[in-house]
Amino acid sequence: MSELALADVTKRYGDVVALDGVSLSIDRSTFHCLLGPNGSGKTTTIRLLLGLERPTAGRVVRDGVRLGSGFQQPSFYPSLTVRENLAVFATAVDGAHDEWRERLVSELGLDPVLGRPAADLSGGFARKLDLALALLGRPDVVFLDEPLGALDDVSTARILPFLAGYCEAGNAVVVSTHQADAFEPYLDRVTVLHEGQVLDDRDRADLDLAADESLQSRYVEAILQREADDRGEHPEPDDLD
Amino acid sequence: MSLRSLLRKEVYWSRRNALALLLVLLLLPTAFAASSVLFQDVIPRDTPVAVVPQSDDVGELDLVPVHVGMGTYSDPVSVDSTEAALRQLEREQVYAVVEVPPNIDRSGTDATFRLYVDGTMVPFKEPSATIASIMEDRLDAALAADVTLERVVVGNDHDLSAYLLPIALVALIMLFAFTYVPYNLAQESVVMDRIRLESSLEALVGAKLIFFTALMLVPIVAFQGAVVGIDAAASVSFEHVTALAPGAVLALLLTFVALAALSMAVMVLTRFGTTGRFVNVVLLMAVAGFSGLAYPVGYFSPVRKAIVRAMPTHYATIVPRSSMLRGSSLATFADWLLGLAAVALVALLVLELTIAYDRRWR
Repeated sequence: MSELALADVTKRYGDVVALDGVSLSIDRSTFHCLLGPNGSGKTTTIRLLLGLERPTAGRVVRDGVRLGSGFQQPSFYPSLTVRENLAVFATAVDGAHDEWRERLVSELGLDPVLGRPAADLSGGFARKLDLALALLGRPDVVFLDEPLGALDDVSTARILPFLAGYCEAGNAVVVSTHQADAFEPYLDRVTVLHEGQVLDDRDRADLDLAADESLQSRYVEAILQREADDRGEHPEPDDLD
Repeated sequence: MSLRSLLRKEVYWSRRNALALLLVLLLLPTAFAASSVLFQDVIPRDTPVAVVPQSDDVGELDLVPVHVGMGTYSDPVSVDSTEAALRQLEREQVYAVVEVPPNIDRSGTDATFRLYVDGTMVPFKEPSATIASIMEDRLDAALAADVTLERVVVGNDHDLSAYLLPIALVALIMLFAFTYVPYNLAQESVVMDRIRLESSLEALVGAKLIFFTALMLVPIVAFQGAVVGIDAAASVSFEHVTALAPGAVLALLLTFVALAALSMAVMVLTRFGTTGRFVNVVLLMAVAGFSGLAYPVGYFSPVRKAIVRAMPTHYATIVPRSSMLRGSSLATFADWLLGLAAVALVALLVLELTIAYDRRWR
């Protein structure tokens, strides 16, 4: 078993079943994508792995692995400047050496806004600051919940190779998204979630995509197929376009 | 947007915050109305007063008519010696000491009673002149001896301005603990997940408690500065007023820790929401209203007196007052300071339990 895993985990919020018997493991040196539509359980999965929620049933394995996270809603002190936020959280985590902090600032393009109050940041810069805080302690596994939201294409083109390099250094990056296109070239593993269950979980290399097929279209097809099966229907191929 | 659509928004908001509104608009007025029964009188009727024998010639039975004579406007309690009674006077366990002379049942003899009042306890010191006059008449009519009553003001003699200083400090501590601390903690909710992941809620509230407790030294020092400044300007005399008295500082800081821990526990339990802030305002009103900040206990009603005497914040008011105005030593209030420390520890334990509860049910 991996150092970080969910074993047959169920999570309920009152009558709502957010996750239903989910098993999943996160391995080192892996760029892992949790893919699924809204409400499929991606964020709950991440929160359980981070230890921010407790499972209703099942087991969460977290064996001495250092975790970091970028959150769906960027999480920092709005009244502090970007520099102050980095300084505050650098003291909270191990491994946040000045050199690494400066590299993050440079790689994520935060230099122009270092002295600006975080509350005044645009959506894109807020996302970058959240990403920098997630990586500040050089975690073994970093979770990024919808990390490309509000980021422009140029920033995306800079950040994704940086994250891939972070994986190659022996760490794991887990992204949660409903739009996999931008991540596809970098991914090592894909887990598709739907209505709180794992629909598919395999290495990217085992997906065996057709030449004109994208990961995104495969995932949308799989979801529609499942929904049709649930309704007892059999969609025509044209319905999937 | 039209007025109608904005009104609709208010309805939606109210639905989301129904509990907080229920608290403020229904429970709070009801509590105010109900608590008004605790304020039955505006003159002292149940104020604790010590009755002590002036010498060994005065027996237990000699004290009985004095108890009866004073019973209508105070709550007399027998104390063995004047020294012990004056110590109780300094600790505001009693608000006056009546010393009973010998031979009060012998016709034709002179019996001089002494009524000791504290120079610091301004709300009692000033009415005590009237009380002394009434007492003298009543005792003279009830006893065979020719009664005279001598009123003695003990300790530093202060006026209302000085008397209000420690009350203002205690009120400020309460206000800060129950309004600013919850507000500040609620502001952290945006970063709470990151705190939980990379640090802990315990570390967060611990840092806040340490920082804000240290910050509470600022108003205390400011009060000391104001006292010195005003005294030098001689507009009001603040002679014998020391805001930085060790007992006062210790009591105020321990009280702040206890109240801030309590208000934080409320915020954790209510997930840092609006309801928690409203609950803390209600707590502030309850604590301020039932701590006997300004008036001696027993001024308003026996029920309120019992409640006030059960509140740790009542003692947290007396210790700063005595330390700042009477110059009382730390030793005088060692037991109450230990009690306040114990209350602060219990409040911290409650805070830790709410954090554990929050963690357990996430």
